[in-house]
Amino acid sequence: MTRLSEAILETWRRAIDRLGSGCIQHLSEEEGGATALYLSARASARAGDLEKAAQQFAALAEIAPTLTAGLEGHGETADRLGQSALARAKYDVARRLRSEARRGAPDRPFVLRNRGPFPAEIAAYTSVLLSVKDRALPYVARGNALLAEGRARLALLDYGCALSLKPRHFEIAALKAEALVMLGRYEEALRAFDTALAARPNDAEIYSGRAIACLALGRLGAADADWRRQSELLPPERAAARACVSLRMADYEAALPLLQRALEKEPGDPYWRLYRLTSLRRLGRSVGQPELERMADVAWPGPLLALHAGHLSADEALTRADNQGRRAETLFQLGVIAWPRDRAEARRRWEEVAAETSPALIEHAAARHELARAGS
Amino acid sequence: MFSVILYGRNVSHGYNLHKRAAIGLNALAELMSDSDDEILFVDDNTPDDHPTFPEAIHDTLTDKAKSVMRILRVRPRHRLDARRHAHQAVLESQSRNVALRRSNPRNRWSCFATTDTLLVPRNEGRSLSDILDELPDGFYRTPRFDLPKTLWEAAFDRGDPNGNLAKLRHWPTRFHLDRPRDEAGAEFQVMLRDDLFAIHGFDEAMSSGGSSDSNLAARLALHRGAAGTLIDKVLGYRCDPGRAGTAKGMNDRDRVVDVVTTPYLPAQADRWGWPDLDIEEIRLDRGTSYERFFAGVGAAIEPARAPYDATSLESHLVHDLTYDLAHTLPFVCDQVLTYPKHSGVMFVGARADFLRRFSTAWRGMGFTGPILVPQECAGLPIDGQGVETGPFVELLRRAEIFIFEFGLATQREDEPVRTGRKITPPDDACLKVVESLFRRAAALEAETRPEGQGLPRRFIGVNVIYNYYWPLFTDHIGANITPFCSQVLAGDPRAVTPKKARFPRLRRRSMA
Repeated sequence: MTRLSEAILETWRRAIDRLGSGCIQHLSEEEGGATALYLSARASARAGDLEKAAQQFAALAEIAPTLTAGLEGHGETADRLGQSALARAKYDVARRLRSEARRGAPDRPFVLRNRGPFPAEIAAYTSVLLSVKDRALPYVARGNALLAEGRARLALLDYGCALSLKPRHFEIAALKAEALVMLGRYEEALRAFDTALAARPNDAEIYSGRAIACLALGRLGAADADWRRQSELLPPERAAARACVSLRMADYEAALPLLQRALEKEPGDPYWRLYRLTSLRRLGRSVGQPELERMADVAWPGPLLALHAGHLSADEALTRADNQGRRAETLFQLGVIAWPRDRAEARRRWEEVAAETSPALIEHAAARHELARAGS
Repeated sequence: MFSVILYGRNVSHGYNLHKRAAIGLNALAELMSDSDDEILFVDDNTPDDHPTFPEAIHDTLTDKAKSVMRILRVRPRHRLDARRHAHQAVLESQSRNVALRRSNPRNRWSCFATTDTLLVPRNEGRSLSDILDELPDGFYRTPRFDLPKTLWEAAFDRGDPNGNLAKLRHWPTRFHLDRPRDEAGAEFQVMLRDDLFAIHGFDEAMSSGGSSDSNLAARLALHRGAAGTLIDKVLGYRCDPGRAGTAKGMNDRDRVVDVVTTPYLPAQADRWGWPDLDIEEIRLDRGTSYERFFAGVGAAIEPARAPYDATSLESHLVHDLTYDLAHTLPFVCDQVLTYPKHSGVMFVGARADFLRRFSTAWRGMGFTGPILVPQECAGLPIDGQGVETGPFVELLRRAEIFIFEFGLATQREDEPVRTGRKITPPDDACLKVVESLFRRAAALEAETRPEGQGLPRRFIGVNVIYNYYWPLFTDHIGANITPFCSQVLAGDPRAVTPKKARFPRLRRRSMA
């Protein structure tokens, strides 16, 4: 009887998933003028009305100047109209914007390392799904694009559809679990991670997700076990990813040499410099002034490097942090700087990080470990 | 800055492949301006006795192309691990992975193309190295357009890559060529080498046919997000093969693309690109096969004093086993030159001077493997460098090539040949041993192959044309057709014929 009711529920869930998934395009068009305008401009270009498309893309650039898909569409339209210089300029801006968007933490799954928005991909996969409904890839790919944009609820619908087509593809179960983490449904996420790990016990990235779910549920020991396992599984050449895992556990001794290697490989990444500075400070080692001042002028996390160098006050740094993630990074660094002289102040900063921010952030996990060690 | 990875095989694939490939390789080389840039050509499954494809067309390649090209030779024996695809002439994914694994680690970018691809920077003054240097990290594509056969075949000069690229700057609009190919793998893709390593390269479960590109693109899109375009920087063109044969073994798109749910291939994470395999690397700008041949044969024989010599094919001379060693040795060396340098060769023969000279040539050609001389062959010099001796049955399992020489042990080097010389008793004793060992080697070849050697080993017969040993050799060995003057036949052992089938074969021979 139980099995029958489970089967009925599963069928019902799949039907809801499919229905919901079909609505995604409609939702996308409704939710923002930029996306709708992009889709309209693209349709004009496809229909051969290049002049109209160029006007629409130009209008789109006014309201969404960082939408790379729009800039590329404008570039293509201009190129086809014979305006090669304008086309090159548009493409160059799109490439520069893409390169400036910081990718997600390297120890997290590939999906979460990408940064949106992805209107072109979502539209393309939605078009595919209008005619091809029995293939998992379009659902997974669209789900990934949605997840990378932070639209976890819609991503979850797509992963549900993909899983109904490929129930034994445990990579999809892991992606679904990541969407559940993003939605704060940690217990469900944990179950989905367990299912994926039972089939893929050597997948480092799944351990990363499960550790975050455990952390969110207050199971610090279980989270650490998963991170340690992830670190063992990551290949040596992925030094940056292994450094991030160590930082999450506030294990600065382990993180330091890995950060050095990450910095050698990506000398232009200011985060490796910042995290190296963090580790040196927390280990009580000296940091030279030139080291402190290097890259302090980059847009972000330049202010945090300036904070370490003493060129910026705590309030100024917090003012420059223009989103929740950056605020968490700032609070964490304020704790690191405060620790040698005022431990209560440091604890207070880290408690703010632990209380206010997503457990998926490196700073959140590190703050939780710092507090646990400090006996808070 | 970048590695371009190509693959192919030295067999007939369309009457114009050599021209298409030379046009493409020369044009690609012209776009390289960074000292680390390279063209990696994986020569997959060319028979051991053939040169690789780029070596076969080297005279049509520019000096620039030769200087940037590294040829990685995947031997037929290397493919035995890939039994699932044993029927395929070329393994696309494996070939590309072999090159990727061995590409210059200083190069940030990897590109995959067919040998007949031409890339045209839209800004004439810029090389592909310049363009890629400025690109932020990512995964990029640019469309590739088709060139009608007549245009490239009749109008392109393969030795003038810059002239060809110049033509491509105005042809597309003149002939309306700017319609992208819409099949799988039709775009020119530029990827980060690090990304390809992170996702474990091409899926080696895929067969050839272009869809491995689509599979890779789907996985890379999952890994890195949407692909960017290079259409404003560079355009690709492909020489349409026209009347060439069609590709076989195309992948089912459903199987190769629609099943993708993850960028990674954990099942091949440690073995993609055959990392533990020692793959030979061949250059066209140094250590060429001609240089090796000249070094070896040049050290073994003196130049002839006369402009030419004569020989006789008259039937009454069929029992005369004298031959001109200096004339024959280059043809023997020619048979072995394309084999791996570490190969071991078994020499069974009668003439001591042949072994001495061959040994000099063998080392001179850069071979490091031993020359194995069975102790049953009395009178042969075994004190030369790299010559090893032992019982025939023991050496049999170590040999990768066999040379059987049917000469007269008593022949002097300055003796005239084919004049009706009789076989003396010492000659006869030696020849009986050679014949006996030849029969045994041919019969036991399949069951005595060295470990890992799945394919038949090559038998080279010296002095086996127009004499008593001709039918003996060709009865046991499926030999190639060679002019008499070379004195040399070579081939693989014939499959053992069941007794029932032997009689009709003998009857056919006697009737002929």
